[in-house]
Amino acid sequence: MPSATVNKPRPSELLSRLTSAEPEVKVRALREVKNQIIGNRTKKLSFLKLGAVPAVAGILADSIDDVTDNNNCNNDSNNAINILVQSAAALGSFACGFDAGVQAVLDAGAFPNLLRLLANPNEKVVDAVARALRMIYQSKLAPKYDFLQQKNMEFLISLLNSEKENVSGLGASIITRSCETNLEQKALFDAGILRKLNSLLEGGSLSQRDASLESLATIFRNNPEVISKFAGPEIGRPLSSIIDLAKDRYPRTRLLACMCLIVIRNASPHFLQDIGIKTKLIHILLELLDDPGQVGDEAPFAFSSLIAQKEDLQKLALEANAIDKLHHHIKKGSLHPRRYEGILLALADMYSKLESCRSKFLSLQVLNLLADALTDYNAGVRAAACICLKSVTRSIKNLSAGYFMNETIVIPLVQLFLDPSTSVQVAALGATSNIVVDFTTRKSIFVQCGGMKQLVQLAKSMESSVRSNALWALKNFVFQADNRLKEGVFSELTASLLSSLIRDPEPSVQEQALALVRNLVDGCINLIEFVFAEDGLILGAIGRQLQCASTAEIGIQGMYALCNVASGNEFHKEAVMQLLFTQMGDKNQSFVIKFLQSNDSRLCTATVWTIVNLTCPSSPGAPGRLEKLRNAGIVSQIKNMVNDPCVDVKLRVRTVLGQSMAFGDN
Amino acid sequence: MASSKKLISREEWEKRLNNVKIRKEDMNKLVMNFLVTEGNVEAAKKFRMESGTHPDIDLATITDRMAVKKAAQCGNVKDAIEKINDLNPEILDTNPQLFFQLQQQRLIELIRNGKVEAALEFAQEELAPRAEENQSFLEELERTISLVAFEDTSNCPVGELLDISQRLKTASEVNAAVLTSQSNEKDPKLPSLLKMLIWAQNKLDKKAAYPCINDLSNARLEDPTF
Repeated sequence: MPSATVNKPRPSELLSRLTSAEPEVKVRALREVKNQIIGNRTKKLSFLKLGAVPAVAGILADSIDDVTDNNNCNNDSNNAINILVQSAAALGSFACGFDAGVQAVLDAGAFPNLLRLLANPNEKVVDAVARALRMIYQSKLAPKYDFLQQKNMEFLISLLNSEKENVSGLGASIITRSCETNLEQKALFDAGILRKLNSLLEGGSLSQRDASLESLATIFRNNPEVISKFAGPEIGRPLSSIIDLAKDRYPRTRLLACMCLIVIRNASPHFLQDIGIKTKLIHILLELLDDPGQVGDEAPFAFSSLIAQKEDLQKLALEANAIDKLHHHIKKGSLHPRRYEGILLALADMYSKLESCRSKFLSLQVLNLLADALTDYNAGVRAAACICLKSVTRSIKNLSAGYFMNETIVIPLVQLFLDPSTSVQVAALGATSNIVVDFTTRKSIFVQCGGMKQLVQLAKSMESSVRSNALWALKNFVFQADNRLKEGVFSELTASLLSSLIRDPEPSVQEQALALVRNLVDGCINLIEFVFAEDGLILGAIGRQLQCASTAEIGIQGMYALCNVASGNEFHKEAVMQLLFTQMGDKNQSFVIKFLQSNDSRLCTATVWTIVNLTCPSSPGAPGRLEKLRNAGIVSQIKNMVNDPCVDVKLRVRTVLGQSMAFGDN
Repeated sequence: MASSKKLISREEWEKRLNNVKIRKEDMNKLVMNFLVTEGNVEAAKKFRMESGTHPDIDLATITDRMAVKKAAQCGNVKDAIEKINDLNPEILDTNPQLFFQLQQQRLIELIRNGKVEAALEFAQEELAPRAEENQSFLEELERTISLVAFEDTSNCPVGELLDISQRLKTASEVNAAVLTSQSNEKDPKLPSLLKMLIWAQNKLDKKAAYPCINDLSNARLEDPTF
């Protein structure tokens, strides 16, 4: 046969042949469509646009009853079989890893027909159909399967019991895709599905083992009850088959087994907690990073799920040289975006809690690598780089050294404030919030790079998460900053914007805005004038917001802001007093009393601090203020708190009482 | 300088070897495994008849797989692709690396046959979209296309692509992919055994002088030397 020549029919020509009355022409055309689209996403898309999917689905529907028994070997029945096989294979390929294809197949009404064909007498037909359905169930768009209906559960069991790999694989895929709630997980357990999956683990083929591992992980997720029933009386045995598979020769099986074990660990404090299994999991996952294919792409995500929030595992991973290995992979370059994102997130988890991990970042000199990732064309990578940066900048030692406040990092980071993706913006703001807590005098670099102005712009964003994170970054930026910087921020923000942010509909935004004011007025008496600008816009907003504070955090930040104002001169202290008492007219009780009676000791502390500042003996108006407070019942409320269990509260209360006694109080 | 290595004479060695019993059935299984994995169907069938050894996999599946491998070895890549898709449409749909390699081989065959225009069209329509998504594919594509620029391909830097060994490499990858998809092990056991032998000899070399096997093809014992 001559070698590859490239004369093939145009797609539209092929599609018209699909409508031919002659079965043989139809079969050839179907096969040709299938062969053109397999492995070729571009072709799938172009055939899709020409309406190929409804055409093929239509052929499937028309032929559905043509193959009625397995015994006919004549030409007609061969054609009928081939038509079903090729059309199912084509539909399966359209659905394979291609969401637009899955949607088209579902829209064309092929799904119920494919289900029906699972009962077809011909093996090849069943195989092709089962495979096509499996492809559909690998997608998020697959129809939801209702496990709680008896009929459906029986059908699922029949699928799992089938000898054919593709059919039992379909059963497992359905579980992996559709099982979501604890109720469904329990229903599957009660129907004996776990036992069936376990037997596939031990005696099945490679693909059956892999499919079982995925389904088991889905059933175990966040369900300690099902896990303990599974691992139950024969403690260790069923789990040991999964543990063995973590050392299987096939990388994908190892990965899936690890993921299943991690799900079990995370859901249930009783299983897989010894150091041996922890170390093993870390080593296996780090080794899987070397896999060049999809397994290596997914391995870092599994690693993250193992170590996230868990200091003990992060320590073990550090000892296993995890950070060096992860860095090594990034340095190699030209990574698939998914893998790049995964490795960055894994590093973010490693840096999240331990200073010993963060110091590795600095010694390995990867700041430039991270800066590169900030400008990657893939949004997921950019966001992950920001998250990684946020973790590593938790290192106070290095913030103090001014390590991160330089143009290499700040310039690309500020550019991300304008990123089209909201999640990237928010992640960039998160990293910025840490970096601007710079204890050196280099904060001006941030202003020079346009960062401060950008933050103020973002504080006006339509997205509340962007607003609150921008304010958070500004709050940290002005923390112990010099006056000049603070004035710059305030004039950029303006009193009216800040006061409207204090009264923002979102509680998280209110909280950050109040915290920003707190930091702005802290430290220097001149700065307190900010809250009086434009007829006391900001002070008024604070007062109104404290009256109707919906969360403790809002109360805390607002009171500290007032506390800082009250640390000023007489005029400032009187203004705060007026605020506290003006609000009283509307209600029976000042919010001050409400805060003092709160269960949240931080709120109590903040409020008592404010009273401390209002009544400090060195100011001439203190006695008068103390009198007013006494008349409002605030002093007696404070007296009740003299033995408060929280040390901070107790100490401040005693300060107030000490001060009040200086004025001859009893 | 006296060696601290132990010396084992040939007689002693052969005596010890004779004490180790190896079953004929085990050896037959190894041979069958080798024939089956390499795809030598006829030989496997004959061996089954003559020795009574049962293959681990269905010989019929070997026939299908061998047709694919043969088509690839002969450079009939389109045919090989169609055969794989008939066998299991998932293989190429879920293995972009292998699919690209096959398409690349198609391109090479077109260039080999002097069909330059068709080659460029093929490259643009089929390979360029894949290369857009993947840096290493792009590099491979550029390497392959550069063949067109050379008049004397036997001396050019990418000439190895035209070599028959490239075809055989592709064919062997295809064979491995099909084997894996059939849940069969893609590597025969025999090479692993031989590697184990070499490893064991290397280890033993440090402690003893003994009759060792240097030529694996005839497995002859060579006298120990200091």
